[in-house]
Amino acid sequence: MTNITLKIKRQDKPGSSSYWQTFKVPHRPFANIISCLMEIQKSPTTGSGETVSPVIWDSNCLEEVCGSCTMLINGKVRQACTALVDNLESPITLEPMSKFPVVRDLQVDRERMFKNLKKVKAWIDIDGSHDIGEGPIMQDQDRAKRYVMSECMTCGCCLEACPQFTIDNSFLGASTFNQVRLFNLHPTGEMKKEERLDAVMGEGGITDCGNAQVCVEVCPKNIPLTESIADIGRQTTWQAIKNLFTK
Amino acid sequence: MAKPSKDEIHYLLLKLHSLTGIVPIGAFLVVHLCVNSLRTVGVWPYQLSIDAINNLPFLLIIEITFIYIPILFHSVMGFYVVRLAKTNAHRYRYPRNGLYTLQRISGAVVFVFLIYHLGTTVAPKLWEGKHYFEAAPFLIDIMNGEFQTWQGLLIYTIGIVSATFHFSNGLWGFCVSWGILIGENAQRNGAIVFAMIGLALTVLGMTTIAEFNMNPIPVEATVAR
Repeated sequence: MTNITLKIKRQDKPGSSSYWQTFKVPHRPFANIISCLMEIQKSPTTGSGETVSPVIWDSNCLEEVCGSCTMLINGKVRQACTALVDNLESPITLEPMSKFPVVRDLQVDRERMFKNLKKVKAWIDIDGSHDIGEGPIMQDQDRAKRYVMSECMTCGCCLEACPQFTIDNSFLGASTFNQVRLFNLHPTGEMKKEERLDAVMGEGGITDCGNAQVCVEVCPKNIPLTESIADIGRQTTWQAIKNLFTK
Repeated sequence: MAKPSKDEIHYLLLKLHSLTGIVPIGAFLVVHLCVNSLRTVGVWPYQLSIDAINNLPFLLIIEITFIYIPILFHSVMGFYVVRLAKTNAHRYRYPRNGLYTLQRISGAVVFVFLIYHLGTTVAPKLWEGKHYFEAAPFLIDIMNGEFQTWQGLLIYTIGIVSATFHFSNGLWGFCVSWGILIGENAQRNGAIVFAMIGLALTVLGMTTIAEFNMNPIPVEATVAR
């Protein structure tokens, strides 16, 4: 049985320096990166025969829906669950995403993405202490458009691949702008439209997008992120003109 | 009126950065290349157009307000924008990412080229006080000399190509960031149109260079002082 070589970038704790280790696992047809990592977990022995602590990674759904196993595989960002070893060049290199703080080994802290969702109020308000009645009806074409945008799983691929998004700046990034468009297109969500646009019209906001359009290329859910960005560009431009004359 | 917040200032400055690239800087680039291409029609219409420009009232104030200050602002903001990001075209090899990187490089190249271009044309013109009808023979004499060496030809070719690329790619970027081109098809078709505009401007610049290189004709002032 042939072996697969995995070169893994490891880090023991947040802030500590990283180092590389090589592991060999037996090749199984249709194996994905997660199953290779599980194999390493069984007996964490490096290529040079040294027994080390097992490699840590994040994963959950194992069907490219949750986004938690996002990492750099052979230098490119993608989900480990759908990265089949048969389709990858050997040796396979695994690195944690570089735009988020590393927790340990391949596990990163993606909290910034969720904080950004809060900043732009990426939700629909529901009834409070009293019934606010029925909402307006959504057009079917809007529903179809929104469905594609709603598939975002907050995995972070678009941000990892974005040249404008760095680990220490405040850029909101493609996924956040897509959520602004998603909720502004909802007839009830539209009632908070101005607040959402206000949140993306500042430092790290929509003006910081440089239209490199790598986000749309790497998005595993094929969300039209660049359309969302341009649409938010239009919405904020109108908002700015409106503010100029009414504020 | 309330004092603008840091975020409002940031938004306004980046929007202005985008806008100044089109008007007045982009518009000036088009006019500048078109006027200079008159040289390919003949020295006489070319000299007349320079005469017309140099006899404009308040020329220096117009130049400072509509050319120098916007270019300086656009450049300073440009370098600020570059500092915000970290290019990755070597890792994520997609055409648009390459153009994104080239947009930043070409901007820096044009900035350096403009220092040279102003230093060899406007600066000596102002220094020697060549105004009104005296400007054309003085400037044409300089330009006749510029294109006689391969170094001069190279500098202007790189400068013009960088400027026309930066402008036409910037037109596309402007249309996307201001939300004029939204859909995938609209963005692609826009890119084709702007590429053709860029190509046309490049041809305009190159033919002008060729004409200067092959026919360096000195001229006398249209009206003697």
